[in-house]
Amino acid sequence: MHKSFGALEVLRGISFSAREGEVISLIGSSGSGKSTLLRCINMLEVPDGGDVLIDGEPIKLRGTGQNRHIADEAQIRRIRSELGMVFQSFNLWAHMTILENVMEAPLVVQGRQRAEVEAEARAMLDKVGIGSKTDAYPSQLSGGQQQRAAIARALCINPRVMLFDEPTSALDPELEVEVLRVIKVLADEGRSMVLVTHDMEFARSVSDKVIFLHHGQIEEEGTPDEVFGATKSARLKQFLNAASHS
Amino acid sequence: MTDDIAYWFSYLTNGKHLTWYASFQFTIFAALMGGALAVVFGLLGATLKNSRFLPLRLIGTFYSSIVRGVPDVLFFLFFPLAFEQGVEWLVASQICSPEAIAAQTAAWPPCKEANWFLGTTEYLILASVSLGLVYGAFATNVIHGALRSVPNGQLEAARAFGMSPGQVLWRIQIRQMWVYALPGLSNVWMLIVKATSLLSLLQIADIVLWADRLGAPNFLPAVGLVHEDWRWRYYLVLFVFYILVTWLSERAFEAIMRRAGKGILSEARV
Repeated sequence: MHKSFGALEVLRGISFSAREGEVISLIGSSGSGKSTLLRCINMLEVPDGGDVLIDGEPIKLRGTGQNRHIADEAQIRRIRSELGMVFQSFNLWAHMTILENVMEAPLVVQGRQRAEVEAEARAMLDKVGIGSKTDAYPSQLSGGQQQRAAIARALCINPRVMLFDEPTSALDPELEVEVLRVIKVLADEGRSMVLVTHDMEFARSVSDKVIFLHHGQIEEEGTPDEVFGATKSARLKQFLNAASHS
Repeated sequence: MTDDIAYWFSYLTNGKHLTWYASFQFTIFAALMGGALAVVFGLLGATLKNSRFLPLRLIGTFYSSIVRGVPDVLFFLFFPLAFEQGVEWLVASQICSPEAIAAQTAAWPPCKEANWFLGTTEYLILASVSLGLVYGAFATNVIHGALRSVPNGQLEAARAFGMSPGQVLWRIQIRQMWVYALPGLSNVWMLIVKATSLLSLLQIADIVLWADRLGAPNFLPAVGLVHEDWRWRYYLVLFVFYILVTWLSERAFEAIMRRAGKGILSEARV
């Protein structure tokens, strides 16, 4: 996969695959392209070159280079409705209550029954530990609670894969813990997840596979034990060193 | 004393005064319909201005910049007349026989059958549409800015969950833009309320026209001079009416703002 923003080349030939039930962590310094790579999976960014295959089905694109666009709106909506995304800045819909936020996509995009969706939404909110906040608006919650609501929102579409884009980077350390705990539970349940993170300890504890990106290329990848325990690349060694001192 | 009261009561409820009171409905109707149309045209104009297609974007930009610059009085005179004659021209091209055209002595319309007589109702609707068109251009700008104030991340989240562009626009962007648009829209609304005093330009016997007529020195041959030039008293009633409308509008906008701002404005705690 390739991706440039103007003259800036962010992804310079990256290829990876994920199996069902696998937890993959993307790590790397800021500007290494890890978020862009994640956003290419559901086409929030359209790669200039390369393809994304979900369950063997390629996402249809037309045009070339930076003029590449989504070719099949119906297809991308269907695929997106099976990928649950969690953003760094939560991006909950401010005009809806927490419960409405969680119910929105199942009702509007997936067209499911209200009663069934509401029961499931309440169960999801209980699961992430904010079952008592269903009628609050996002602005009335702490960052950690908002992010957990955002995770419940992503869970409620019954996603095949969960995509996490630096889910704890906007949180204070004490709020980070509660979100990481929820993500850990999901990982242990065997959910397929792709996780962009700067938290090396966490990446090590939840991942099946860790990918280290540097300047838009994969510098090193492997199991957490290989990547963190027996680091081969000098750049990764340097990065891990810097990360552990911050 | 009771005689006086009875006299003034019957004076203020005579036919002309009742017609005057009834004419308030024209003003209120024109304001409400003009306001509603301005919001519709504003939403339409703002959506065009945001369009990905250049021709549509140009139409939106052209509308909001050109129409804002045309004086409302001029537009008020121009639009209904142009619309009336346009319809007459269209009808004439369909139904006028050569004989009928030859028999027509007046310059317009081409034949008698094509003549379209506009009554108060028709003029009122045309006036409301004119108001909507003129102030819709202002609303376009207000709404265009408000749409861009909705945080981009929330629109991206909506797309990421599989919403179509229409759903993103309608369910997220437009629902949230009201908070940013309402202060501007309340200005537009007050301008529309003021502009309703122009209704008499379109042959509508509105509150201003009647205040003028009723206040003029009144002389009846049988009674003598009923009253002198009382116009300022009648105008004062209009003053009070418009101030009342302003006050009510402000209350209404506050209420709408509280509703639209739920979850977005910090003071709107549940």
